[in-house]
Amino acid sequence: MLTQRIAWILWPAFLVACGMEVVFFTLFDPEDLHFLGAPLEASRMAVYSVGFFVFWAMGAASSFLTCFLQRSPWEVNRCPLPATERPEGCPKREGPCC
Amino acid sequence: MTQPAPDAPAGPAKAAPLRAVASAAVREEVERGLFEVRKKVYPRAVTGWFATLRWAAVWLTQVIFYGLPWLAWNDRQAVLFDLGARKFYIFGLVFWPQDFIYLTLLLVTSAVALFLFTAIAGRLWCGYACPQTVYTEIFLWIERLFEGDRNARTKLDAAPLDGRKFAIKAGKHAAWVAFAFWTGFTFVGYFTPIKELGGAVLTFSLGPWETFWTFFYGFATYGNAGWMREQVCKYMCPYARFQGAMFDQDTLIIAYDRERGDPRGARGKKADPKSLGLGDCVDCGICVQVCPTGIDIRDGLQYECIGCAACIDGCDQVMEKMGYPKGLIRYSTEHAMQEHSGLGGIVRRVLRPRTLVYAAILAAVVGAGATALWMRVPLKVDVIRDRGALVREVEDGELENVYRLQVMNATESPHRYRIAVEGIPGIRVASEPVVEMAAASTRAFPVRIRVPGAEAKGGSQRILITVTAEDASGLQVREHAAFLSPRRGS
Repeated sequence: MLTQRIAWILWPAFLVACGMEVVFFTLFDPEDLHFLGAPLEASRMAVYSVGFFVFWAMGAASSFLTCFLQRSPWEVNRCPLPATERPEGCPKREGPCC
Repeated sequence: MTQPAPDAPAGPAKAAPLRAVASAAVREEVERGLFEVRKKVYPRAVTGWFATLRWAAVWLTQVIFYGLPWLAWNDRQAVLFDLGARKFYIFGLVFWPQDFIYLTLLLVTSAVALFLFTAIAGRLWCGYACPQTVYTEIFLWIERLFEGDRNARTKLDAAPLDGRKFAIKAGKHAAWVAFAFWTGFTFVGYFTPIKELGGAVLTFSLGPWETFWTFFYGFATYGNAGWMREQVCKYMCPYARFQGAMFDQDTLIIAYDRERGDPRGARGKKADPKSLGLGDCVDCGICVQVCPTGIDIRDGLQYECIGCAACIDGCDQVMEKMGYPKGLIRYSTEHAMQEHSGLGGIVRRVLRPRTLVYAAILAAVVGAGATALWMRVPLKVDVIRDRGALVREVEDGELENVYRLQVMNATESPHRYRIAVEGIPGIRVASEPVVEMAAASTRAFPVRIRVPGAEAKGGSQRILITVTAEDASGLQVREHAAFLSPRRGS
């Protein structure tokens, strides 16, 4: 479940980051970019690479919110994990249900 | 089943058992939907016509992928997306960021081509050309070398870890990692000259970003082809989810002939299925065993089916052994299955509104792209007016405007360009009219243009600046600009 959630968050963000990377850096040259008013002093490769991870992180944040908000009331009110998969120390690991 | 109200407070004691039962059932259902515990798929090796075709596709795509960066052209790498210099070399062509439109056209072409092929022949891409399929095939082949075929692999995985198992597993992973590293290296070789990159790897002097991306791509290959496999197609691939939108009843799919096969059942080779009340399917399960996504094609068309045709090969072998006609599972269309028509019936329906529309769009996009590429002049000129001074009166009563010419030589040889100007009688270039430029370079030149005072009409006058290569024909760009002069008598 957690693995799937992580995949749902990271994977679409990765695809979108690939697209953003191509579009953004085709249109903008890293050497023309300014950071806090001063020209970026990193190499183009560095800017491309860091840029990719920034896009990925932003996409992941969006996916995270989507995942977070799309949970049904049922999931919000009750733990959807099966008893055995609940974290260590959860008082509801044993017993019938929520 | 009714779902308990989400906001129901913890009920009184007597209602509890009922609620517990109901929510346990709900929970089970939700769990089934949310978690699908992956059962590891152990695809069985298969031989046959389509397996050969699939291997041919593996070879073709991978020879191109691993070989292309090593190909030389004009003393440089033939295909190099030089991100550091922001220039893309593709054989004889050099593309700059200004040529973004070609990339757009290429992407649109790929998308429409995918639509067209999908409408006609289903998931050809998935089954034969998708890197996920191709690398899974290669990684499975490596796995088989070390661990043996399906049964041996299942046994090995079930066995406790001992020296032999460890050695086998370690060998497999070492081979996977080596192959993945080579793949990552090749990938980076498309963006940084691969020969220098190779030298850097051998001397352990690879740059930080090259190292990072080699391992990143290598790791992705290892993870996707070694571990994730069919899960990528089932859970991660957007195309797998929307390909159904391009399907209709005349799309080629891999189909089990239910009419002929059912009822299924085991029988002796010499038994007459009719007298036993059986169809042709001997229910041997080979089609399920060879399936890389672990589905049963006899349940009908499923989005998990990547159209690799492994089940066709597997079933055909069994049919041959039983002495039944081949093709119990075959490439067919929904209509052809209903009408019991063969290849002729399928081909007759290829031309239909959907495919014609896709083909027309594809032809239009390819046509536009090819024409644009054909007419592309590998010289770009931007005329920018000097912002400092609008107009200046110089000796002999001439008026002067200064411009900045941003010239881009997009060819791979150095050129001498002559700058000329027209549009006003007596207009001339007062600065050096011939400029020299290195191959594939951009430079800005200040250009001073003068007009006899008597010809200046005041305000803005349109002029035409022409940049022509002196040492090559057809290299000419004409750009309009404005010549400013003070208004008389005002």
